[in-house]
Amino acid sequence: MSEITELPKKRLRSLRQNPVTMKELRSRMRGRRAFVVLTVYLIAMSVFVTLIYAAYAAAANDPYGSTDSRQAGKAVFGGVLTIQTFMVIFVGPSFTVGAISGEKERQTYDLLRTTLLSAKTLVTGKLISALSYVFLLIIASVPLQSIAFLLGGVAAEELIVSQLIILVGAVTFALWGLYCSSVMRSTQAASVATFAGILFMIAGIPMLVLLFSLFASPIMAGMSVSWVGEVILLYLGVFLAATNLPAALIVSDLVLQQEDAIFFFQSSFSGRTFWFPSPWPIFLLLYSLLALLFYALSVRRVRRIANK
Amino acid sequence: MSTIIEIQGLTKQYGELTALNDLYLTLEEGAVFGFIGPNGAGKTTTMRILTTLLKPTSGKAWVAGHSVTDDPRAVRRAIGYMPDFFGVYDDMKVWEYLDFFGACYDIPPNVRAGMIDDLLALVDLGHKKDAYVEGLSRGMKQRLCLARTLTHDPQILILDEPASGLDPRARIEMRELLRELKNMGKTIFFSSHILSEVADICTSIGIIEAGRLIAHGDMAEMQRQLRTHRLIQLRALGDTLPLQAFLLSRPEVHNVTLGDDADLPPGTLRVDFSGDDNALGQLLADIVAQKLPLVGFFEETGDLEDVFLHVTQGIIN
Repeated sequence: MSEITELPKKRLRSLRQNPVTMKELRSRMRGRRAFVVLTVYLIAMSVFVTLIYAAYAAAANDPYGSTDSRQAGKAVFGGVLTIQTFMVIFVGPSFTVGAISGEKERQTYDLLRTTLLSAKTLVTGKLISALSYVFLLIIASVPLQSIAFLLGGVAAEELIVSQLIILVGAVTFALWGLYCSSVMRSTQAASVATFAGILFMIAGIPMLVLLFSLFASPIMAGMSVSWVGEVILLYLGVFLAATNLPAALIVSDLVLQQEDAIFFFQSSFSGRTFWFPSPWPIFLLLYSLLALLFYALSVRRVRRIANK
Repeated sequence: MSTIIEIQGLTKQYGELTALNDLYLTLEEGAVFGFIGPNGAGKTTTMRILTTLLKPTSGKAWVAGHSVTDDPRAVRRAIGYMPDFFGVYDDMKVWEYLDFFGACYDIPPNVRAGMIDDLLALVDLGHKKDAYVEGLSRGMKQRLCLARTLTHDPQILILDEPASGLDPRARIEMRELLRELKNMGKTIFFSSHILSEVADICTSIGIIEAGRLIAHGDMAEMQRQLRTHRLIQLRALGDTLPLQAFLLSRPEVHNVTLGDDADLPPGTLRVDFSGDDNALGQLLADIVAQKLPLVGFFEETGDLEDVFLHVTQGIIN
């Protein structure tokens, strides 16, 4: 029993004693830069939330406007979530993209590789230090997000599901940036590869689906789709939504609001009822696997003894 | 004394280019080994293989009894490596720099505080403990980098051009530090392209050119060999052929290069001469006695490395 409780403690201690994490955090939080960024970010968020609230307050005085405060709550929640999504997609990887390539450019990489620092410790340290700041920004925005609860219209499940998606997405995109950083010699090249990959995941797949549907719709215009086809298309749709962070957020929220379902919802086709999963558990599984893959590849790359 | 570094048939190829060609080398514990050669000779490649940063194409190397390819972690524990460049982290103080690398070598936090003070005192940077690394002079950075190599008290120090880019004062300080480390019983393997700079602290040297180790041995013996060869320049008046013929007839003259064949003005001869000052004086007297017209006679003052490379260039060619 004591061994079981000792293990997480040991892990936590080793994470806290990771020299790379300590060094990176010390450098990042030193000086005014980190605090200025946090302050500016919170001011921007506050202005954004105030504007949404003001717009709905003005509309409430309008005889034809909405008086439902829940609409304002949803707008505030959606707005903050949009900013968090942007942070996870663009800001998180920007912290990891130079993590290893920056060491190569500063010519400190060889110094680290001749120490006893393991590849795992180096990669984990870089990841934690990069994500810590991103999570700090996300957590700092939670009080603003909680205004949505005062206004109503947002369920606790919505908040939990959305924050889980954001959290796993943040880790996966950060690890993708870290992997590109370990492969490329320069941060510039790593940045191009990282953001090209992320753009493909975020915009490329929906574009391909859109193109496919544009080409397919004239062909399928005269055809009647059987219920089997409809079921397959819905499953496919759920899966595609699960591959994309914004789509997973939107579709999971729709399932929560319209179907009042967290994990599964049902739909009937030709009198037959089928169960469909909400995209978010698939997203979490898929992105967790991708994160593990990028982590393993980054460690392997750092561990490798160079041929050139 | 036991063998601490052993290299057997080490070869490194980058495509068509052979950076290191069948290198054999053995170093005893406590030795201070100067690895001499021009830029691109293969010094850094050898060091990168010994420090587990580079895979050899063929051959084997052992450091402190551990294979560099099969047991890199044990090798890293035994060595302290200082590359020929100095990587600097932004926003890092001198003590933090040493603390970070100490942690990278698994040194417990309670030991690190005392260790940092000791190391800074050793490299005479105690007064710069709270200064930012990026604000240090080049010489101070080099000393700090040397202190970093000592954080885990390694048996062997592998230093790539430790005096490169330093001003004369910093060079002297670096040399003194190396002497101090030698007295502490460390085995030092360091490279330089200036032989005269390392001559007074090395116990043995190796000279590498074009990836091949062309000479290797005990310092005192190598210096004796080097001193036997002197380069003399003579300027003849008129025809140089009689003078050349006379010089080549002398047993202490090994080679005569004509000005037309080398980077010398016309009418000048470069003589590879072995002998002391008395022999040199006798040669001049004999030339005068032979009535060979001479308007210049002086010894070239190149450093020991130039002399050695000149003497050994036949080996490569």
